Amino acid sequence: MRPLRRRTMLAGTFAAAGVLPLSRLAHAQEEKRLNVYNWDTYIGSNTIAEFTDATGIEVRYDLYASSDELFGKLREGNPGYDVIFSSSNYVERMIAADMLVQLDHAQIPNLKNIAPAFANQSYDPGLKYGAPYTYSLLVIGYRKSAVTTAPVSWDAVFGEGAPQGRVSLPNDTDIVRCALKYLGKSLNTEDPADIKAAEELLIAVKKRGTVKIFAPDTGQDLLLSGEVDLAVDWMGDMRQVMAEDDDLAFAVPKEGTVLGIDCMCIPKGAPHPGNAHAFINFILTPEVHAAIAEEIQYAIPNAAAVELLPEEERTDPQVYPPQDVLAQSEVPAYKGEAVEKLFEDALTRILAA
Amino acid sequence: MENWRQQPWVFLTFIAPGALWLLLFFLIPLGWIWLFAVGERQGPVDIVVTWTMSNYAEALQPIYLQLFFKTLWIAILSTVVCLVVAFPVALSICFAPERYKNILLLLVILPFWTNMLIRTYAMIAMLRQNGFLNDGIRGVWTAIKFLLTPVGLGGLMGDQFQPLNLLYNNAAVILGTVYVYLPFMVLPLYANLEKLDRSLIEASLDLGASQVRTFFEVIVKLAKPGIISGVILVFIPALGTFLISDLLGGPDSQLIGNVIERQFRAANNLPLGAALSFMLLYLTFIALALRAWFAARGERSDA
Amino acid sequence: MRRPIGPLEFTRRTWVRLWLLVVFVFLYAPIVVLVAFSFNQSRRNIVWTGFTTDWYGRALNNASLIEAFVNSIVIALISTVFSVIIGGLLALGLYRFRFPGKPVLDGASALPIVIPEICMGVALLVFYARVGWPTGLPWPLNLSSVIIGHIVFSFPFVAVVVRARMEGFDRSLEEASKDLGASEWQTFWNVTLPYMKTGLIAGALLAMTLSLDDFVITFFTSGPDTITFPVKIYSMVRQSVTPEVNAASTILILFTVALTIIALRLQKPSEGIG
Repeated sequence: MRPLRRRTMLAGTFAAAGVLPLSRLAHAQEEKRLNVYNWDTYIGSNTIAEFTDATGIEVRYDLYASSDELFGKLREGNPGYDVIFSSSNYVERMIAADMLVQLDHAQIPNLKNIAPAFANQSYDPGLKYGAPYTYSLLVIGYRKSAVTTAPVSWDAVFGEGAPQGRVSLPNDTDIVRCALKYLGKSLNTEDPADIKAAEELLIAVKKRGTVKIFAPDTGQDLLLSGEVDLAVDWMGDMRQVMAEDDDLAFAVPKEGTVLGIDCMCIPKGAPHPGNAHAFINFILTPEVHAAIAEEIQYAIPNAAAVELLPEEERTDPQVYPPQDVLAQSEVPAYKGEAVEKLFEDALTRILAA
Repeated sequence: MENWRQQPWVFLTFIAPGALWLLLFFLIPLGWIWLFAVGERQGPVDIVVTWTMSNYAEALQPIYLQLFFKTLWIAILSTVVCLVVAFPVALSICFAPERYKNILLLLVILPFWTNMLIRTYAMIAMLRQNGFLNDGIRGVWTAIKFLLTPVGLGGLMGDQFQPLNLLYNNAAVILGTVYVYLPFMVLPLYANLEKLDRSLIEASLDLGASQVRTFFEVIVKLAKPGIISGVILVFIPALGTFLISDLLGGPDSQLIGNVIERQFRAANNLPLGAALSFMLLYLTFIALALRAWFAARGERSDA
Repeated sequence: MRRPIGPLEFTRRTWVRLWLLVVFVFLYAPIVVLVAFSFNQSRRNIVWTGFTTDWYGRALNNASLIEAFVNSIVIALISTVFSVIIGGLLALGLYRFRFPGKPVLDGASALPIVIPEICMGVALLVFYARVGWPTGLPWPLNLSSVIIGHIVFSFPFVAVVVRARMEGFDRSLEEASKDLGASEWQTFWNVTLPYMKTGLIAGALLAMTLSLDDFVITFFTSGPDTITFPVKIYSMVRQSVTPEVNAASTILILFTVALTIIALRLQKPSEGIG
């Protein structure tokens, strides 16, 4: 960080002295600005301020609600963002669409901190385009006092014994992927017959009256407010509501589930790519990444940062799932628009049934 | 009505700003989407215009037609409820003493300057199973049970209070739609009722017509343009809504708006989303044209 | 002393009063709930855990929230003024003139009401990207792309309302005015405009509501420097509504109420004359 900082001060001195001809040089070094685009409640409350203190770069931190929104907005060109946070399947889609800048590993030495298991995922082998930020599993959250036995399998929500009208499922294609897991298939299947089977299963589940709502990423809130007793949603979200209500818990289905990895990327046309690299490197600093993890309750793929976490958190299988659980789970892959369409059409039919 | 040639400059002043704005910032942008509807996807972002009809063919599949009809139903019901709720409100604002008029009007519109999402979430907090409304009903239930038990009728009330499922069904979607679009009904009605000639109503009452008859045969008739514009402003936007059904709907509350929204975003299938949007557009257009045709025919037969 | 209820005094009839009461409870109950939750200690608007005013401090210190807030109000005001002018003129033109292509313009001006918001948002996104609309302009010029979009979907609403109002307007008043020697402009200003006024006010209120609430079209037309309140709120509440959002909304409500009271006060004297 130090040389960068000296450069900052140097540029600052010249600017203050009003040496105009140097402004072009300063521009080559980029103005001290950075536009970051992320989900809400997904970074430490002091992270941005610390970054600005360390580098002198002013950060404009914008929020969006979901990866598909981000993709929809950037598909026609980048309106000025430098760093975007995106889920891995959209990273893969954006790589296919040539929308991302290749990361310059020399400018992000902290990439070496990423655990090997996350450095060679199929969506982006060798971390060419995305720096992994957090990961999470799609789990079954439940209210302990309302279920007779704690769920261990997808059977708790997809089986005949699931409680009537007390279940919330996500309203995106992840639910089809969960059903594929329940059926013992890969969630990245390209076989229309498999997807059809998952669709029929979900329609049957719906017809039985199990599902109260297909929720847009709000399963944890429905669980907390007592509207449902079982909710399929992300582990990190579940942990946030469990902190408010002792009666809540979650289970990772034994058949395996969806493993979601969120990454930091630099979109093409970013006005400040140098600052963007500095930002990504800063986040991956073990101390910084560990502080973020402690605050937002999400698991991080940064091995050096995990080392810094308190023992009880680092070894808690409810935060850092054991290797065998992770091995069972799969990262949703982007296999071209034709395969995506199979999943999306299945979802439309399920919701319309 | 005068011919535009009589005063071309006045005519242009009136028409040109709207027509140009519409052309530049609406019709031309929409032209791209219209082309997308006859295009094919090549890779994640590129759409090549091939003049294919397959997107429209897909949009006409039974599953989407069924969703169109469902959306139509929800929109019609919401519009009717809106009209019934709004009419007395608009009428009483018009006939309120002059000094209260503006205050009443603002009282109606003020809630709508609070973000719709926040209002809807607040409504969820009220209506959910452990929400305030169910808490209130539970209180009443407990009180009645307490009173009935000594007379041996406690059993009538059941053993335990069952909270009402007020959310996550189609009724909740209609309620939410009414809540969002109410001012779009109240304001056109108000703008139209306000100029209503009071002497006509007084004459009707003086001539011995009852209040009810006067209401339906004089007031409603005179307010017709307001009713029509209110219905248009509620019904048509309600056809394309997706947020309300997303937040308040149950497992079977998917509307055509949700499908369109998903095609433009998560599904990344812009051609299908465009075709579905234009289907909605063509249908509304046909409906409006039919209305104009009937109106024209009605005028001719009147004359 | 109670006068008997006159035939047109609807506001004094019990059933009308009850109806109004029910409607206002329906409209305001959620507002009361959201204000109440702005004082809740819990991060989520679900369980009441205790009283605090911390969220107000956080909302007021959230610079980006305040910036979004200011953007929204500026956008709403500008787009309302433009929408009322464009929509009012268009309604008048359609009402007054006969010209070739009138049904086409009539239908086309209703299209922005019909088209699903997301479709229009993507259309504008594609349009701005392909015509190379300048980005990175200084404030408030950078809001232009958003404002243009807001005017597009607002002015047709104004036109519909004003046109309904104009139906039943007695054109002979205009003719009389011109016969008495008034110019086109004087006639418009002294005869037509006063009659339109209610329609224009209703249209303006609608345009303001539409602009303050829109996030779909704004989302697709905004960049890093042009975030509005609804876009901000939308991204914040998708995770779950925090009391900070409620606090910010409460401040907005107080702000609009204060503005409204001032506007009413200012309006009073002119009412005496008119």
